[in-house]
Amino acid sequence: MFKTMIAPLFKNRKFLIGLSIFIIFILLGLLGPIVYNVDPTEMTWDFEQAPSSTHPLGTDTYGRDVLAQLFSGIRSSLYIGLIAAVISLVIGLLVGTFSAVKGGVVDDVLMSVTNVVLTTPSILIAILIASYLKVRSVEVIGLILGFFQWPWFARAIRAQLMSVMSREYVYLSKMAGYSDLKLIIEDLIPTIATYTFMSFVLFINGGIMGEAGLSLIGLGPTKGISLGIMLQWSTLMDAVRRGLWWWFVPPGVAIVAITASLLVLSTAMDEVFNPRLREE
Amino acid sequence: MSNSSKAFIKYIGRKLLFLVITYIISITIVFILPRVIPGNPLSQILSGLSRTGQSNPDAIRAAEKALMEQYGIGKPWYVQYFEFLGNAFKGDLGTSFTYYPRKATELIAPVIPWTLMLLLPATIVAWFLGNTLGAFAAYKRNSWFDKGVLTTSLIISQIPYYWLGMLLVFFFAVKLDWLPAQGAYSQGLIPSFTWEFIGDAAKHYVLPFLSIVISATGGWAVGTRLLVINELGSDYVRFAEYVGMREKTIFNYVYRNSLLPQITGLALSLGGALGGSLITEIVFNYPGTGYLLFKALTTLDYPLIQGTFVILIASIYLTNFFVDFIYALIDPRIRLGQEA
Repeated sequence: MFKTMIAPLFKNRKFLIGLSIFIIFILLGLLGPIVYNVDPTEMTWDFEQAPSSTHPLGTDTYGRDVLAQLFSGIRSSLYIGLIAAVISLVIGLLVGTFSAVKGGVVDDVLMSVTNVVLTTPSILIAILIASYLKVRSVEVIGLILGFFQWPWFARAIRAQLMSVMSREYVYLSKMAGYSDLKLIIEDLIPTIATYTFMSFVLFINGGIMGEAGLSLIGLGPTKGISLGIMLQWSTLMDAVRRGLWWWFVPPGVAIVAITASLLVLSTAMDEVFNPRLREE
Repeated sequence: MSNSSKAFIKYIGRKLLFLVITYIISITIVFILPRVIPGNPLSQILSGLSRTGQSNPDAIRAAEKALMEQYGIGKPWYVQYFEFLGNAFKGDLGTSFTYYPRKATELIAPVIPWTLMLLLPATIVAWFLGNTLGAFAAYKRNSWFDKGVLTTSLIISQIPYYWLGMLLVFFFAVKLDWLPAQGAYSQGLIPSFTWEFIGDAAKHYVLPFLSIVISATGGWAVGTRLLVINELGSDYVRFAEYVGMREKTIFNYVYRNSLLPQITGLALSLGGALGGSLITEIVFNYPGTGYLLFKALTTLDYPLIQGTFVILIASIYLTNFFVDFIYALIDPRIRLGQEA
């Protein structure tokens, strides 16, 4: 498995670039708050300072250090992305696999639900749910976002499994008396593993983007700092029109860099695993 | 009646049924949410009301009355539900708290054109631009043009609409002072069909429009490029090449075939763009549905929040339906009753 699947990945230049950038941001999120030991929520009298040696990225309207906010923002945004991705992946896998394996009524019902969720703009339902919650933890935001981004994945999984199910070796396994579970684990899961991993990467991406959107309209986590909350404060305090670029540029750059690196990662995987896209 | 038109009617009928069902489901979500989220919905909403800074006791009492009416508190839940559903289909989505006694729909109707005017042209322009760029990049695969388009698109497609909007405002409105930074027209002007007003609105239109177009184009380009590359590897292309068909002719076929899935994508993205443009409107203080929703959220005006939600959802489903209709007209497989 290593030789056929993982080794070619590390020969792909795009994969390496994407992975490096993503790892840098993971390290910034994990180590940043420890190495740069400044409280991101502490208000000081040094407000709206441009970047200087005391505040490398300046301060906001409440005199809070922007660099410290950026580090903890990266940390919680990655965390929200991860939660959202795990939830979407689990729901998508369950729905897609059951639909394909069980067929019939189960398939019809699950696919109707999938189509309804797919056509409903998730950000709107997320806004509606978040508006009813007085206290919103980072985990709850990840949960809400994860709940709405699985449908395209479930559909793709179902389509792939349906084609696998019509192959001879699956018939053989069925004749050998495999249970549904054993069939799923031994014959079906390996065929969708790479696609699943690619989708996982995109789900993290979606979670991070979704958090930023929710936070910007005031429905993000009610405690702590995230990249979206930084953007929210800078919007509330009219930082753009007052030219305080050091406040709204860094969180945006971080969002774009993280999500773009994830997208590059997933396209690189697609190139490696999809023979039609392989560069000759 | 021919078989093909029968299949067509059946297809449209099924889509229409799906439209009604999804609308009922979304209204049901609006009905259920305040009831399943922990805490007594009424008391939670009322305490939210007093937090909005509404100190006038008459206004609070009026809102309370509106709430009781809207939710039919005290009646059995199923009666409440069907009343709610019936009202929603009649276009009555409750009475606003902040703008009492105006109905939510009365407040939403006048802002819808602003959103549509911003959203529809921007989405369609981005769709055409992205598809052309992506197809051309796939055609010139691995050239500098392809690599340039791909890299730029990948990065641009990851820039959130609203952040791009912030950057545009910063450079073109704050630093260069070329264009207005916010609003849909200058303060003091009254919307009318005069040259003065149209010119002023056009200036305000540029930045929000660009922020949506630029960020959406990248995504389309990446998608189309991939579809065209996949299509170029298919058997009929190999065959056409083998028999010596002209390259341009082959490419035209490939382009048309690759565009079909992008039409469904357009419908989905109109929905997604509505969500995205909500936030763009907030960044630009653009007086559309997004900005109204934002104001409703900051004052916890629940009927207005729900009303905006239901109307946005309805318009998205309707758009999807029309796109499905058009799709069936141009794709023979659907017209003949064999779905792709």
